[in-house]
Amino acid sequence: MSAGVVLVAGIIIAGFFSASYFASVVILALTYAIVTAGMAVQIGFSQQVVFSQSVFMGFGAYGVAVLNANVGIPSLLAAVIITPASGIVAFVIGKAVSKASGLALAVATLMFPLIGFGYLSYANWLGGSIGMPLTGNLWPGGSSSVANGLLTVGIVTLVVYATTRLVASDVGLEMYVLGVNERTAAAMGVRTARRKLELFILGSMLASLGGAVYAGTQLFVPPTLVQATSELSLLIMVFIGGRRSVVGAVLGAVAIEYFSGISNFVSIHILLIEGVLITVVLLIEPEGLAGIANRVWRVASASLWRQRGEASLAPAPPTAEQAPAPVSEPEVSAFRRHIAERQAASGSLPSNLLECSEIDKEYGGMRVLSAVDLTLPHHGIFGLCGPNGAGKTTLLNVIGGSVAPSAGRVLLNGADITGLRPESRFRLGVSRTFQAVHLIPGRTVIDNVAVACLASHESTLVRGIVANRLVEAREQAMQALEYLGMHDLADREVASLTLETQRMVELARAMAARPALLLLDEPASGLSTPQREHLKEVLHSIGEFTCVLLVEHDLALVAAVAEKIFVLSSGALVFDGSADEFRSSELVSSLLIGV
Amino acid sequence: MKLGNLIIAGIVTGSIYAAFAACVALWYRVSNILNLAVGDFAMMGALGVDDLVRVKHWAIAPAILVMLAAVAVGAYVYDRVVLGLAQDGRTRQEGIVVTFFFTFALSFFLEGLAEVLYGTDVHAAPDLWAGPSLNVFASGLHIERAGVLVVGFAAVVGLALAVFMRRTLRGKAVEACGENYLGARIVGIDNRQYRRLLFVLSAVLAAVFGILESPITGYTFNSGASISLTGFLAAAFAGFQKPGKAVVAGLSIGLLEAILGGYVSAQYGDTLLYAILAAAVLIRPSAMGLDVALD
Repeated sequence: MSAGVVLVAGIIIAGFFSASYFASVVILALTYAIVTAGMAVQIGFSQQVVFSQSVFMGFGAYGVAVLNANVGIPSLLAAVIITPASGIVAFVIGKAVSKASGLALAVATLMFPLIGFGYLSYANWLGGSIGMPLTGNLWPGGSSSVANGLLTVGIVTLVVYATTRLVASDVGLEMYVLGVNERTAAAMGVRTARRKLELFILGSMLASLGGAVYAGTQLFVPPTLVQATSELSLLIMVFIGGRRSVVGAVLGAVAIEYFSGISNFVSIHILLIEGVLITVVLLIEPEGLAGIANRVWRVASASLWRQRGEASLAPAPPTAEQAPAPVSEPEVSAFRRHIAERQAASGSLPSNLLECSEIDKEYGGMRVLSAVDLTLPHHGIFGLCGPNGAGKTTLLNVIGGSVAPSAGRVLLNGADITGLRPESRFRLGVSRTFQAVHLIPGRTVIDNVAVACLASHESTLVRGIVANRLVEAREQAMQALEYLGMHDLADREVASLTLETQRMVELARAMAARPALLLLDEPASGLSTPQREHLKEVLHSIGEFTCVLLVEHDLALVAAVAEKIFVLSSGALVFDGSADEFRSSELVSSLLIGV
Repeated sequence: MKLGNLIIAGIVTGSIYAAFAACVALWYRVSNILNLAVGDFAMMGALGVDDLVRVKHWAIAPAILVMLAAVAVGAYVYDRVVLGLAQDGRTRQEGIVVTFFFTFALSFFLEGLAEVLYGTDVHAAPDLWAGPSLNVFASGLHIERAGVLVVGFAAVVGLALAVFMRRTLRGKAVEACGENYLGARIVGIDNRQYRRLLFVLSAVLAAVFGILESPITGYTFNSGASISLTGFLAAAFAGFQKPGKAVVAGLSIGLLEAILGGYVSAQYGDTLLYAILAAAVLIRPSAMGLDVALD
C-alpha cells in the first residue's frame, strides 16, 4: 500500500512539475530515499549500526560516472552493472567485518567514509577534490526530465515495495529478533552471522543504487558525497523519519532534502535546523515521525471507536491471563503425532536421546563442571538441582550450545553435537527457555512464539521479499498457544503481560518448534503457588511426549513432576535417583536444605 | 633530523587527540554515552575567542574567560534540558544508539551556530605565547610555541584526571555510575549530578584545548567533527573506559599520522592511518575492548 502511495505521489509530481526546479528537488530527495530505505532495514529494524552507507553511495555514483564518461556506457546500463558489483564488494567487506558486531562494527565502519573521502580528494582519475561530470542522463532517450523523474519514482517505488515486504515477512521477524538480542535469535535457530552479512549486502546495494541514480540525475559526482558529515546527514534523515519504518525513513529523506531544496533559509541553516529537529523528535518519540504518526493514529482510532459505542480496543483486563489452561485433547494429539512422525522418519533411534559424557568446563582456572555424565531418554521430565553456583545453568548452556565445554562430548540421538552452534542444535530439536525472560519487546505474543516456527533459516533475504511464510509460522505458533490455553493472548504486546504469562509465552515459544529436548531454566521463579500448580500440569502433559530437563530451585515442584532427579554440587554430579529417593536422601537434604 | 621533527609534530597532534580521547572516555565512564560534540566545543572556543579579539577588539584574557564561561553555560543548559529529558525523564531513552544521536544533534547544532555567527573562513584564536618556533637545544629540532602549550596542558590534565579517577572517592563514584546506573543510585550516588559535572568539565577542557591548538592548524565551523572523530577513535582503542589508556592511544595515533605523512605519502597519510585503524579494530576487536554490544 505504502509503495502505491509513493508511486502515485511521485508520478503526479514528476508529471505536473516536470520542467521546473521543483521537480529536480524532488528527484534528489527520492535519490536519498533509496539509501535511507536500506538504512531503515539494516540500522533501524535489524539494529546493525554501520557507517559505511555514504561510501557505497559514492561507489555507485563514481562507478556510473566512470562507466559513462570514460567507457561510454549509458548511465542506466551503468547503474544496472554497478549495483550487483556493489553487492560483491559488500560481500567481501562484509566477510571481513562480520566477525565484529556492536561497537566494533560501528567504529570500524565509521572509518570507511574518512578513508573514502581521503582517497577521492586526491584521486585525479576521478576528478580529485572537484568531482566528476557525466555525459548521459539516467534515462537513455535524451535529456527529458519527465522520463528521468518517472524512472527515479519507479525505482523508489520498487525499493519501498520490496523492503516493506521484507520487514513484514518471516525473514523480517528473524532480522528483528537478531537486532533485539543475538543470543535469543541463535537459540531460536536464526543463523545470525549469515543474516548480518546479508543485511550488510542489502544496505550497501541500496546505498549504491541510490548513488547510481544520483549520478544519472545530477550528472555530476562530487567527493563530498563520501564523508563523515554526509553519513551523519543520512542517519539523521532515517532517525527523524523513524528508524524502524521504511516509509518513515523515506519520508525523512524526502522532507529534509525537499525543504532544503526549496527554501534558501533552510539550506543555509540546515545544520542548525537538523540539530534542533532531531533532538526534538527523539525527545518526543524515539521512533521518529513514523512513531508520532502511529501514536496519533492509535489515539484517533481509539476515540473513534468509543464514539461509535463499540467494544474498546484497549487490552483485555489482566484477569483474563490468569485462567488456568485446560489442555485440549486434539492439540495434544497434534503434537504427539508430529513427534511420532519424526521418530518414524528417523528410523531406529538409539535408546537415549541425550548423552553427555565427561563434561568439563573451566573459566580461567575455575572449574565449574567436572566430569559430568548425564543420559536422558526420549521422553519424561528430569530435574536438575543444586545449590547456587553448582553449575546448573552452565550445564544447560553446554547442552544448548551457547557455552563450549573444555572437555567432554555431547551426543544427541547418537550423533556428536559438541561442536555445533546453538542455532544448529535448535534445528536438531534442542529448545530452551532462559532464567531471565528473553522475549522480544515491541512484538505480539503470537510473533514471539512464531520466532521458533520459522521455516526461513535456510533461505535468503530475497526469499523473504517474494514469499512471505510468516502466516504459516503464526499458524504453527497458534497451535502451541492453544495447547497451553493462551490463544486469547495472541495479539497482546508482550511487555504488557504479567511475569507468569511472559514465562508461559517463553515456554510456548520453546514448545512451538516441537522439540525433542526441552531445556527449562527456572521456569517457576517469580511465580505464585497457584501459578506453580498450573505450570506443574503443563509440564506433566509435555513430558508425555518430550524429554524435559528442568533446572529449578522449587524442590517440591521438581519432586512432584520429575521421574528422575540429578543433583549437582560444585560442578560434580553427586546424586541421581527417583523423586522418592530424592526426598529421603540425607545427602540431598544437607546440600539443598541445609539440615 | 626529519624523523626528530616528525616525532615532535606527532607528539603535538597526538597530545590533542589524547586530550579529546580523554574527554570522550571521561564522560563515557559516567554516562555510557559517546560524546561526539567534544570537538565542536573546541571549535566554538577557538572561533569565539578569535571573534572577540580580532573583530570586537577585546583583550585576550577576558575573551578567553568569557568564551569558557559561555561554553560551560551552554553545556550545562544542554544537559539540564536535553539530556535531562532524555535520561532522567519519565521514559528513559533506551540503547546507546538513540542517546548517541543526541550528541550527533548537538554537534550539528553547534556547527550550524558557528556557521551563522563566524562564517565559513578559517580562523584561529590568537597566539598565547607568540614568537618564532623554538629550536630545541639548538639542535635543529623545532617545536612551535603553541605546541609546547598543548603538550604541557595535556600532560597536566591527563595527570590530574588519572589522580582523580584512581585516588579519590569521587573518581570511584564516577566509575560506579558508568558500571551500573541503578546500582549507583541505590548506594546514594547522584549520577545525574556527576554526569552534568563531567559533561560541563569535558566541554570546558575541550574549549581550552581548542584555544591552545587553533594557532597551529586553524579551525573552520566544521572542524569539530573530525576532531571528535579522532578523539572518539583513540578513546575507542581504550574501550572508552580508561582515560589513561585513551591518552596513550591518542599519542600513538598522532605519531603514526606524522610518520605516515612524512615518509609514506603526504596526500594519503591520513587515509592510510584510518585504514590501519579500521583493520586493527576488525582484526582484534577484543584486544581493543570493543567486543561489547551496543546496547
